[in-house]
Amino acid sequence: MKLSELREGESGVVVEVRGDSEVRRKLLDMGIVKGAEIKMVRNAPLKDPVEFELKGYYLSLRRKEAENVIVE
Amino acid sequence: MIKVALAGNPNVGKSVIFNALTGMRQKIGNWPGVTVEKKEGVCKYKDVEFHIVDLPGIYGFTAHSIDEKIARDYILKEKPDVVVNVVDASNIERNLYLTMQLIEMEANIVIALNKMDLAEQRGYKIDVRKLSRELGVPVTPTVAVRGEGIEELKSAILQASKTKRKPSIRYSDGIERYISLVESKVIENSILPDCPLRFVAIKLLELDNEIMKEAKVGKEVIEKWISLVS
Repeated sequence: MKLSELREGESGVVVEVRGDSEVRRKLLDMGIVKGAEIKMVRNAPLKDPVEFELKGYYLSLRRKEAENVIVE
Repeated sequence: MIKVALAGNPNVGKSVIFNALTGMRQKIGNWPGVTVEKKEGVCKYKDVEFHIVDLPGIYGFTAHSIDEKIARDYILKEKPDVVVNVVDASNIERNLYLTMQLIEMEANIVIALNKMDLAEQRGYKIDVRKLSRELGVPVTPTVAVRGEGIEELKSAILQASKTKRKPSIRYSDGIERYISLVESKVIENSILPDCPLRFVAIKLLELDNEIMKEAKVGKEVIEKWISLVS
C-alpha cells in the first residue's frame, strides 16, 4: 500500500520509492529508503501534510509526496 | 590561514558548533545573488587562523534546492581546506548519507559527531574509533551545547589541513564497472576537468540534472555509454 494510506499509529516497511527522479531523490536523501520502518504519527488539520516517524526522527511530507512511497 | 566549511543536515547543531568555534567574531550576509544567509567567522587556534563558513543545512547534494546548490558549489569550486561534517549522533544513519556524498566529492572532511549525550540517552553505543577507521576520516565526538569536544575539534581541523586524505567508497563490482566506464568517457571528452573525476562519473550515472547541464551531456549520451557494459 501507499505510505499516504497509513492511518494514525500504523507503521510499515518501505519496499519501493517511486516518483520522478527529483522527488525520489529527495525522499531517499531524507532517509526514506528500502527497508526503513516508518510510522504515521498524525495528520495536519486539513489532512495535509502528514507527520511520520522513522529511525528516531519526525518528518512531515505532503500527501502527494507520500503517495510515491510503497510500504508493507 | 585555513579555509573551513561547516556542512551537515538541518538541525544537527551546526550553528551551535559555528558559534562555539568563532565566538563573537562573525559576519552575517547573504550568498551572492540569493536571499540565503551566509555566516562567516574567524577562529584562532595555536596561532593559526581558521576562516569558517557555515553552509546551509542540507540532506544531499543533488542541487534541487538553492541551499543544496550553494553548498555543492562552495565545496566543489571554492575547495575549502577542511570541511567539518557535523553529524547528529542520535540520527546517525540518515546523517551519514551526506557524509558519503562529501567523501565522493573528495572533500577533506573531519566529522564532528555531535549530540553524543542524546545518542547515549537513546541507548546508542557508538564505536568512534571504528567509525573513523571504516570511513577513513577523523571523527571527534562533541556535545556542542555544553562546549564539549570543541578544543578537540579545532585540533582535528588543524591536523586535517596538513594531511589531505582521499578516502573512497567502493560499491559492488557491477556498479564499479559502470563507474569506470563513465570515468573513461569523462576523461576522453574532458568533461568538467576541475571537478573530482569519480564524483562527476557517479553523478552522471545518477542522471543528475545539474551536473548533466554543466557537463553539457544529455541523458541519451549517458545511456549510450552504459549500453557498452555487459
